[in-house]
Amino acid sequence: MSNIAGKAYAMNVITPIRWYMTWVNRLIFRIVQWFPGVLTGLVTLSLIHYARWVIVGRRQFPHLHPDQPKEDLTYSYMLFFSNFNGSWDQYVDSFTFAIPKGLDLFWKGNIRYPRSVPLTPFHDYIRYNQIETIHYYSAYPLATANDVKAAKKVKAALLDFDIRCGGDDVSPEEFHTRYKALLRHLQNDLGTMRPAPIISMAAAQVQKRLERDQRKAAERAARIAPAPRTVDVPAGKDEEAETIDG
Amino acid sequence: MTRQLDLFDIQGNVIRAYGRFSFPVARYVLLRIDDGAEGRRFVDAVTRRVTTSVDWGNAPGQVPKPKVAVNIAFTYAGLKALGLPRASLAGFPAEFVMGMKKRKDILGDDGPSAPEHWDPVWRGDQVHMLVTLNAQSPQDLEDGWRWLEDVTAARGGKVVILRGHRGPAGADDLPYQEAKAVYENGKPTPKEHFGYADGISDPVFEGMPGRTSQSVIGRGKQTDNGWEPLATGEFLLGHLDEAQEYPKAPQPFSLSKNGSFMVYRKLHENVGSFNALLDREAKAYPGGRELLAAKLVGRWRDNGAPLVDAPDQKSKLAWDERFGRASPQEQDRMLSGYTFDKDPHGARCPFAAHVRRINPRASLETTKGAFDTPGALANRRRILRRGLPYGEVTDPTRDDGEHGIVIMMVNASIERQFEFVQQQWINYGNDFFAGNDKEAILGNHSEELPSRMVLPVEPDSDDAPYFVRNIPRLVETRGGDYFFVPGMTALRMIAAGMVDPT
Amino acid sequence: MADKSGNATALTVLCPIRPGHLGEVAYADEVKCRLLEWNTRENSPMAKVPQTYLCRYFVLDDVFTEALAGAEGRGTILDALAFKFRYFYRLGLPKQDHLKSRYLVFSTNFHGDLDAYLEGMWQAIEADLRGIWQFCWDFDRVHDGRSFAGYMKRCRLDVSLFFVGSTDDPLEEQLKSLYLKQEFGQFVLDHQGMEPAALQQAFRAFMDRVKPRDVRGPSWSPGQYRLGRQWEKA
Repeated sequence: MSNIAGKAYAMNVITPIRWYMTWVNRLIFRIVQWFPGVLTGLVTLSLIHYARWVIVGRRQFPHLHPDQPKEDLTYSYMLFFSNFNGSWDQYVDSFTFAIPKGLDLFWKGNIRYPRSVPLTPFHDYIRYNQIETIHYYSAYPLATANDVKAAKKVKAALLDFDIRCGGDDVSPEEFHTRYKALLRHLQNDLGTMRPAPIISMAAAQVQKRLERDQRKAAERAARIAPAPRTVDVPAGKDEEAETIDG
Repeated sequence: MTRQLDLFDIQGNVIRAYGRFSFPVARYVLLRIDDGAEGRRFVDAVTRRVTTSVDWGNAPGQVPKPKVAVNIAFTYAGLKALGLPRASLAGFPAEFVMGMKKRKDILGDDGPSAPEHWDPVWRGDQVHMLVTLNAQSPQDLEDGWRWLEDVTAARGGKVVILRGHRGPAGADDLPYQEAKAVYENGKPTPKEHFGYADGISDPVFEGMPGRTSQSVIGRGKQTDNGWEPLATGEFLLGHLDEAQEYPKAPQPFSLSKNGSFMVYRKLHENVGSFNALLDREAKAYPGGRELLAAKLVGRWRDNGAPLVDAPDQKSKLAWDERFGRASPQEQDRMLSGYTFDKDPHGARCPFAAHVRRINPRASLETTKGAFDTPGALANRRRILRRGLPYGEVTDPTRDDGEHGIVIMMVNASIERQFEFVQQQWINYGNDFFAGNDKEAILGNHSEELPSRMVLPVEPDSDDAPYFVRNIPRLVETRGGDYFFVPGMTALRMIAAGMVDPT
Repeated sequence: MADKSGNATALTVLCPIRPGHLGEVAYADEVKCRLLEWNTRENSPMAKVPQTYLCRYFVLDDVFTEALAGAEGRGTILDALAFKFRYFYRLGLPKQDHLKSRYLVFSTNFHGDLDAYLEGMWQAIEADLRGIWQFCWDFDRVHDGRSFAGYMKRCRLDVSLFFVGSTDDPLEEQLKSLYLKQEFGQFVLDHQGMEPAALQQAFRAFMDRVKPRDVRGPSWSPGQYRLGRQWEKA
C-alpha cells in the first residue's frame, strides 16, 4: 500500500456522526462556500492540492442489486479525503497550530471528537480513523501545490512577455529592461522541482535506496578506475530522481 | 506568565551556552559501558560534579562559577547498558531509539556526509555516554580531563573512553573531540570558520533564568499581543508545551522531568569551497563580496547585523553607527529583536538564508490574520543551540583541514523540532515557495543536481534578482548521535539503579 | 452538490463488492491484491486516463469508532443519570456499527465534465478497470463507456465541500506550465549576466524550443516521477 505519490500524501479519514448532525454539518459546509474567507487559513497553509468532505447518510450507502444486503447502521459517516504536501505529522500539526477553530468547526458533530488542542488526542483521533490508500496516483509527483500554482503564473508571464517583447521591433536594451521586470515578477516562483524528501520507511523503499546508494558508489568507483559493472538496477517505481546520466 | 523552574534539577548545558559565558575551550568525550553496575558507579561519580543551571556567585550560600562545567548525556544504547528497565526504555521516542546514523535518509546525510565518512569513534553502537567538559582556560581543561580519566580508570576497565575522534595533522584516534572558540588577536570571538558571528539568537522560554521582558523580543514567539516566551515544554520534558500537553517522555515521570533531548552533530566546514564560492559569485554579484556573504546567512559577517534591518552597505553603516552608541540591552535588541514583517519578498533577507530557514518567525503567515497566532507554524520548530567551533583554518583555500563546528541542539522532540527543520526547511524549500531549493550554508548540496539560491529584489526596483548557482556542499556531517540529557534527580536515580516504572 | 470548484471536479464512489471468493481469496481481498499489483508497474494505469489530477483507491472493509472521552452535553447528562440507572450508562457508550458489504472506494480529482471523464477512463484502461470492478455488484451490466459512467453515477456520493488549493486548469495546461517553470528556471540561471543582444537571441531560441503555447509540444508526461529528457513528452 502507499499513501504517497511523490510529493503528495493521500489521507482518508472516516468518522461517525449522529444522523441528526448530518444536517448541521452539511449546513456548515454550505456556509463555508458562501463565505470563502473562512478557508483563508487553509489557503495560506498552501499544503493542499485538493481536499473534500463527503457525508454519507446511514441509509445512503450505494445499493445496487436486490441480493445485496442493505446496510443497517446507527450512525452516518463523514469521509475526509485530502491530497497534501509534506509529512503526515507536518500536515496534522499545521492544522492544529494554525487553524484549530476551523478544524473544530468541521468535525464538531463527530462522535467523541476530542477538539484539536491539545495535540496528542487529536493525532490519535485522526490516526485511528484513517484508512490506508492502496493505490495512489498523482499526475505530477515532482510538484507540490505551490509548484503548480507558481507554474501557472510562470506560463502566463512568459506568454505575456512574448507578446510584448518577442518581436523584432524591440531593441536589446528595451528587451533587457523588460526581461529584468519579468524576473522580478517571477523571482519567487522559479524554485527547482526535484523528488520529495524521504518520508517512507517501508522496507521496499529502504531496500531501493540502499541499492541505489550501492549503484552510485559503484559508478563513482568506475569513473576513477573502470571495471566491469556487476550491479543491475531493478526496474520499477521509486521516489528518487535519476538524471540523464545517473 | 512567569513560573519558577527548579534550576538545581536541570543540567547547565540546557539553559546556558557555555561558550558565551567565558568557557571558550571544551572537550567532548564519548564512552562505552561494558558492565551495568560499573557504569552506574561511573554515572554516580560524574553526577556529583555535574554543573546545574543555577546562577553563579561568590556570596555565601551561592554556587561559585566552576572552572570546568561538566555535563553528561546518554544514547539509547547507553541507557540500555546501564540497566534501565524495559518499560522505561519502551517509552523513549522512536527516533531517539534508532539513533542519528540510522536516520540518515531523513536528515539528508548522504554523499560526503554519509556515516561511512564519519570519525571512526561513531562506528557501530559503541557510543553510550557523552561527557562534556567546558573550561575557562586550557589549564582548567587539562585538570578536568585528568579528573575524568581518573574516574574512568577507577571502573577497572569496564567503562571505556572511546578513541577515534579525528584531530589536526591527520590524527584519527583521539580520545576526545577538542573544541574551542575562534580567537582573534588573542581574544575568543563568537565566530565560526566561515567568518560569521554565531549563536546570536537563542530561544527564550518560560522560567528561563535571566530572562527580561526585553530579551524575549525576537527570541520568543510572535503573538497578537507582541512577543511572549515559548512554552517550557518545547525544551524541557515534564512541562507543558505549545500544544498544551506534556511532551512524549519515558516513564516514570521522575526519569524524564527536567530532562531533554540533545542532537550532537560534528559539522566539517569546507572553508576552501566557501571562499571559492564567494570569489566566483562576487565577481558577478552587484552588491559585492560582503553583502553576498551576508545574503547567504542573513547577517553581516563582521558584527552579525541582521540583513532585514541593514539590507545594503548604506543601511549597514547607519546600523553600525547606532550599534556603537547603544547600551548592551539595546545592542541585544538590535541583534535579536527583528522580524521579517517588512520583508515579504525576501529582498532584504533571502528565503534561503540561514537565519530565515531555521527560524522564519512569523513570515510563514503570508496572509495576515490567517492563522491562530502569527508564529503558529514556527513556534514548535525552535531549537536551543549549544556547542563550539573546533580546529583551526591554516589554509583558507583548502577544504581538507580539520575544522568546523560541533553543534549540540537541545529540544523536547528531536523529530518535531530538529529533524523537521533539517528535512523540510534546510534540505527542502516548499514551505518557502522555493520548490526543492535548499538552505545555503547547511543544505546537502550535490554536484549531480546542482543547487541554486535566489536573492530577490524589491518588486519596485530596477534590478533583476540574482541567482547564486552551483552551490557546493559547504558543510559535511562527520559524526553525531541523539542523546538524552537527564535532570539531576533522574541522574541520581539512574546511578542508583532505582529507575522503576512499575 | 458541491462537487465542482471552477473547472475542477471531485468524484467519490463507493462500489459494493460481492461476498464471493476466488479460490481461497475473498473477492474484496482479490481487489486489494490487484490494486497492489498496480503499484509494481512502471506507472499507474491512471496515468493513461485523461484529465486526472490525483486519485486514489482503497477498500472499505468496515466502519469503526474509536471511543474517546466524551465531553458533549449529552454525555454529561447521561453520566449523571447513569449514576442511578445502568441503562443510561450503556446508552452513553458509542454503538458498534458494522457494514454488511465491503466497498471499493475510488476518489478522484479531475478537470472537466463527469461523463466525458468516465467514458475517457473506460476507453483508456478498460481491461484494468474490469480487473478491479468485476467483483462489484451489478457490474456485469457494464459493457461500454456509457454504461460505465452510468454505473459510477449510481455509486457516487454527494460531496459536501470540495477545496481546491491548486489550480483547475486542464491537465495538459498544468503539465506544460510545470515544464515551462522548470525550463525557464534553468534558462535564467544559464543566461545570468549575459549581454542584452545575446540574451535576446537566446531567449528566442528558448521559446522556439519549449513552445509555450503548444500543450501538445514538449512537456511533462502525466505521472512523470523522474527528471530528465527521456521521461518527458517530446
